[in-house]
Amino acid sequence: MQSGESASASTIPDIEQLMKQYQQADPAAAAALVELLSPQLYRFFACQMGSRTHAEDMLQDVWLRIHRVRHTYRPGEPLLPWVYAIARCVRVDSYRKRQRILSHETAADVLPERPAPKEKTGTFLPFEELVASLPESQREVLTMLKVNGLSIEEVARATSTTVGGVKQKAHRAYERLRKLLDQAPIPQGARQGVAQ
Amino acid sequence: MTCRQMDNMISSRSGNSPLPPEAAEHVAGCQRCNTLVRLLDENIETPSPSHEQLKRIQAAVIEDISPVRPLPPARIFLVAFALIFLSVVIVGSIRLGVNGWEVLRMEQKIAIFATLVASAVVLALSMVRQMVPGSKHAVSPTILPIVILVALLLVIVAVFRSEQESAFVMNGVMCMRNGLVYSIPTALLFWMLLRRGAILFPKLVGAAAGGFAGLIGLSVLEINCPNLNEYHVLVWHWGVILISSLAGVALGAVAEYIDRRKNHWIS
Repeated sequence: MQSGESASASTIPDIEQLMKQYQQADPAAAAALVELLSPQLYRFFACQMGSRTHAEDMLQDVWLRIHRVRHTYRPGEPLLPWVYAIARCVRVDSYRKRQRILSHETAADVLPERPAPKEKTGTFLPFEELVASLPESQREVLTMLKVNGLSIEEVARATSTTVGGVKQKAHRAYERLRKLLDQAPIPQGARQGVAQ
Repeated sequence: MTCRQMDNMISSRSGNSPLPPEAAEHVAGCQRCNTLVRLLDENIETPSPSHEQLKRIQAAVIEDISPVRPLPPARIFLVAFALIFLSVVIVGSIRLGVNGWEVLRMEQKIAIFATLVASAVVLALSMVRQMVPGSKHAVSPTILPIVILVALLLVIVAVFRSEQESAFVMNGVMCMRNGLVYSIPTALLFWMLLRRGAILFPKLVGAAAGGFAGLIGLSVLEINCPNLNEYHVLVWHWGVILISSLAGVALGAVAEYIDRRKNHWIS
């Protein structure tokens, strides 16, 4: 599930150190952080919102937000939970903004809880479609754990909840996915053995 | 191994690293877990941001770059909160008197003030952690102010008894005014301390700061007010915390609105 780009803190070199240098106005450190973290942030947004256009907008928003609140990062603390807490905030704001715009445009009384169905770009695989059908909080936890490769502890920090809360949401998400997988067509080869 | 245990294993497993033997055994015998693990193991090629976009972001960040001073350590804020709490309660007790303290029975003093102090400590920790996104929280900051309000409500109901009171409203308004006189300026003081870190969730930080200031107002009232009527304490003393918390949320909402207008620079 996890690609090389979406690695956790342990595999990204010195991101905490880069952040410290960024706070001290080192342009090279800032550029390196953008380069290192953007792919996984983009993936986080794409998986959550199901749209490349929105993911691009939110990626830009999140970096400008990070830039504005960079003083709130305490050197020595893990960086990824800090970044993802900000990313969550951007996602929620963006979602609310979209809801407001949609309500003005369509005058609909009730808007769907989940993001709109995915664009038929051919880039989204069944996993994204299955995840899109999960409730927002479960989708968020699952995305952070399995798409972005964060640890349970990091997800708990990023979502301002407890480790137990994250485990509970992940469990519910897996249960729901199992049910959906029972009904949905399975990707080729999925019913074969698992790499051991 | 059960499917539930398998879930925890899936969550803590990084990438598609090999399954532990007992998990592999379970997956071999459980079709549903097998399918789920297969799905999660697939290395999905999600689209990546374009090179041009990354360059644009880098340019925007670098163009506006300047050194920033990180927030001071949490202990500095905690000491500041403790000093403000003690100072305001002492000043309030000196100015208004300690009649309430004198009439409270020992068990009432212990129940009320232990709850107040515990609530203040927990709220202070929560406020300080909320200033840094991605901090560890023992209780969700969203529900903490509600938990504290309910806990205090229950303690008040448990330790006070209803009594006959002739001037319920007149006495009460005076008490509430006394409480708010100490809590509102304190809330503003907290806001000044917290504002650098209250950028992401100003309403939550506002609720916590308001609640904390309300605890100070309630402490002053419990030391000062000799009225032990349960309803008086519930409505006019506990109400101070409720009003302060709501005022904090309102202040946070205003700050959020101003911040959004001011920083509408995202192209």
